[in-house]
Amino acid sequence: MVWARRLALRLQTLFHRHRFPQQLDDEIQFHLDQQIAENIAAGRSPEEARYAAMRTFGNPTLLKEETRDTWGWVWLEQFASDLRYATRALRKSPGFSAVAVLTLALGIGANTSIFGLVNGILLVPLPFPNPERLVGITGTYPRGGVVAMREQVRAMDVAAYYEGHEFNLTGLGQPARLTGTRVSAEFFSVLGARPELGRTFLPGEDIPGQDNYVILSHTLWQQRFAGNPTIIGRSIQLEGINRQVLGVMPENFRFPSAKTQVWIPLHNDPRNVILYWADDFMPALGRLRQGFNFKQAQTEIRLFQPRVSAMFPWPMPADWNADVSVVPLRNGMVADVRLRLLVLLGAVTLIVLIACVNVANLTLARSATREKEIAVRTALGAGRKRIVMQLLTESVLLAGFGALLGLALATKGFSLLKVVLPADTPRLNDAHMDWRVLVFTGALAISTGLLSGLAPALQSSRTSPTETLRAGGRASTLPLSRRLRSGLVVAEVAFAVLLVTAAGLLIRSFWALSHVNPGFRSEHVMTARITPNQSFCSDLERCLTFYRTLLDRIQTSPGVDGAALVNTLPLGGRVAKRSLDLEGFIVSRGRTSPLFWLHIVTPDYFRVMGIPLLSGREFTHADLSGAPVAIITAETAQRYWPNQNVIGKHIRLLDDKNWSTVVGVAGDVRAYDLQRNIPAWMNGSVYVPYNSAATLEDGRMPADLSMVIRTIVDSSKTGATLRELVAGVNPDAPVSEVKTMSTVVSESVATPRSTALLFVVFAALALTLGSIGIYGVLSFVVSNRTREIGIRMALGAQRQDVLRSVLTEGGRTSLLGIALGMAAAFALMRVLSSELYRVSATDPLTFGVVAIIVAVIALLACYVPANRAMRVDPMVALRYE
Amino acid sequence: MAKPNDLVQGTLDLLILKTLSLEPKHGWAIAKRIQQISGEVLQVQQGSLYPALHRLEQKAWIKAKWKETETGRQAKFYSLTVAGRAQLEKEAANWSRLSAAINLVVETT
Repeated sequence: MVWARRLALRLQTLFHRHRFPQQLDDEIQFHLDQQIAENIAAGRSPEEARYAAMRTFGNPTLLKEETRDTWGWVWLEQFASDLRYATRALRKSPGFSAVAVLTLALGIGANTSIFGLVNGILLVPLPFPNPERLVGITGTYPRGGVVAMREQVRAMDVAAYYEGHEFNLTGLGQPARLTGTRVSAEFFSVLGARPELGRTFLPGEDIPGQDNYVILSHTLWQQRFAGNPTIIGRSIQLEGINRQVLGVMPENFRFPSAKTQVWIPLHNDPRNVILYWADDFMPALGRLRQGFNFKQAQTEIRLFQPRVSAMFPWPMPADWNADVSVVPLRNGMVADVRLRLLVLLGAVTLIVLIACVNVANLTLARSATREKEIAVRTALGAGRKRIVMQLLTESVLLAGFGALLGLALATKGFSLLKVVLPADTPRLNDAHMDWRVLVFTGALAISTGLLSGLAPALQSSRTSPTETLRAGGRASTLPLSRRLRSGLVVAEVAFAVLLVTAAGLLIRSFWALSHVNPGFRSEHVMTARITPNQSFCSDLERCLTFYRTLLDRIQTSPGVDGAALVNTLPLGGRVAKRSLDLEGFIVSRGRTSPLFWLHIVTPDYFRVMGIPLLSGREFTHADLSGAPVAIITAETAQRYWPNQNVIGKHIRLLDDKNWSTVVGVAGDVRAYDLQRNIPAWMNGSVYVPYNSAATLEDGRMPADLSMVIRTIVDSSKTGATLRELVAGVNPDAPVSEVKTMSTVVSESVATPRSTALLFVVFAALALTLGSIGIYGVLSFVVSNRTREIGIRMALGAQRQDVLRSVLTEGGRTSLLGIALGMAAAFALMRVLSSELYRVSATDPLTFGVVAIIVAVIALLACYVPANRAMRVDPMVALRYE
Repeated sequence: MAKPNDLVQGTLDLLILKTLSLEPKHGWAIAKRIQQISGEVLQVQQGSLYPALHRLEQKAWIKAKWKETETGRQAKFYSLTVAGRAQLEKEAANWSRLSAAINLVVETT
């Protein structure tokens, strides 16, 4: 316990340190008195005895000083006095202090807000007990696989979830479309999540017959059920099925994402082979069991993979889940945003560096005027270390104020960021400014203080007192200080160039993206989702009649030019896939059949959407009941039947008896996102007419469709008209996602837009700070050179010469900065390549434009001080000194 | 005669600890004791005891208490703590080893 005693002693010394000097005096006085008494007893005179005692004792002042050092709090007292002194010094030059604090506040504020995101999304543990024991399993499994995993894997408790199911909530006024997640019964217990009300699922409650339950999200409970606690135990109707409400999850439970409004059991029915083994391949998660570690779980899940593969009622391809592994659950959730966030963090780091350089520059300029003060202090015995410490205290104090202001800015910026970032950013709602952010800001303040203060402090402390005092306080700019300052400006310009280049590339990429021809015409097209219960379409005729009636009625509404239905709206975020056979295309052994995007459409679809037909014909009403037909996209045609006449070829949906005849080739459509027509893991894209043969993977006709309506003029009334019409035909079918096609397109680029926007802001900030830096340094140089310029002009130099000389000085520094920045950008922009579309990370045009922009702004920043230099009046300048 | 500065710091610590191992003493008594025992060979500059005493106190090897002396004056008495006793043993052992080694070197040539 020695250390505890030592700590207690130190604290005691700290708090009672005012008592210590007195006690030390007493102690030493006692010693001397003892010695004097002894000396007198030995027969010396009192006078002699006193001197002898002093001699044997040594220099009391020095010894007291030494003793004081052992108390260990000298630094604190020095720090306190430094702090007092710094406050006074900063108050004495309010202009400098204000600019420095503001600059640092911008830098620190930008960093703090971005770090708030990084912290909330990447660093904060998931809000569950023992989150470090939670893992994600990288493969996806059908229900059968999940059940097998639950029974066989021993290293962890396993749960699975399938996000993005939709359910109609009916029987409570206007029907609503809810987003739900199907979960295995162990889902909540594995996560360790507790309900706000009621209970969660019990083991076995995902088996048919025992699974008519639902758990509500807090938000849904509040919005649809007015937060009424008596909802527990009551039944609500989802997709026409009555489900008992078991519980309500608390507001902060947002797993797998904030979109989930209801959680519903998985319905594990082994007798339904398709449902059990082919549908809904879903991600799984696990909690490590007592005594098992991450590594063991990983090994076990790899060993389990071939076993589960063999359980399928049909042979599974060898590459299915071949690289399955186990990752920390949080990492799995945020893998997609990690890089983007780190790039943003890198960008704001550059900004704070620029801010530091700026303040360092200002401090250097100011220290030239403080040379005399420092010389005096040195002459009075302050060591170099003390001078440096005192100057550093000043800059850390500045940074501290900057951090306070920055924190205020960051709070504002943080809420703005949450709006700017795409709403589907994982864990965005979980991100808060917490103590970690505060610690970060504190650390940032100290390091920016040190960083911006170190060079000036070292520089100033080199001052030779004799020379400075002899010079009579005239600012004598050391050549070194001038070189240091130019170096800082070069760094600053280079950082700014990096940020502006990044912004330039992202803007160009975003511009390219927004000018992509999506393959359809989005103007004057309204869209809406119409989603009757799936059971409504078990009676095929009823379903087809419903939609036919709807189309007939909307087409005859005023202002409507045409209307059609499609299962997956382009760029709408939904995907429908089917494996199929193609005429003349043989699937090699061990490979799966080609996977196609299946568009199910009504005859008018191509005309309404403005999708051009490249050859053949559109669907007609006759196709709805006649021989099976299909239309493929140009890219698909090129891929499977290159340079052949495609019309008349045949395709067959897997598990289908009939071959369909290809009757047309449609232009390619950006269906998945604006970068791609179809996702990379699909092989092609095909359209089939909406009839009883148009079935999805689960063997059912889709009941939920998107309606596209071409209007003569844009009108917000169309949506309302549609709602009324649907309510008239089927009051239980919700109408949702009513928006224009242009909105759909624009929403699909939310992520690149937000990244580009953020970088534009950063680049503007960097340019502003950078030009302030150049301006500041040149102004200082000019005012320092006033006398020299005066002499030159007196000797006959022309104003233009002076202007040129100053501009050259600024221009050379800026150009060097630009060149270095370009070189760095050339090496670093690679990290952006995944964010860029149709722009190379080293796009010469962008680089060139950025160089010109930065050069022009730098030149403008140089021009003001150069202009002032040009107007120097030689008489005034010479008389002044 | 050895000047006090020649006393290596560690040695002074050892001497203080050893002196205190019998009974609590105030600074002056410690100085006297060291002088007496060493047969006046070790003449510590008395004042230099105090930085050492305070350092040892901060390390919690010795503790201090203000008490009355026989003559009725208040003096600061130092005594060994448990940790101090352990430290003394360690340093004494070190010292024996070192001095034995030096002896060996000096006498075998």
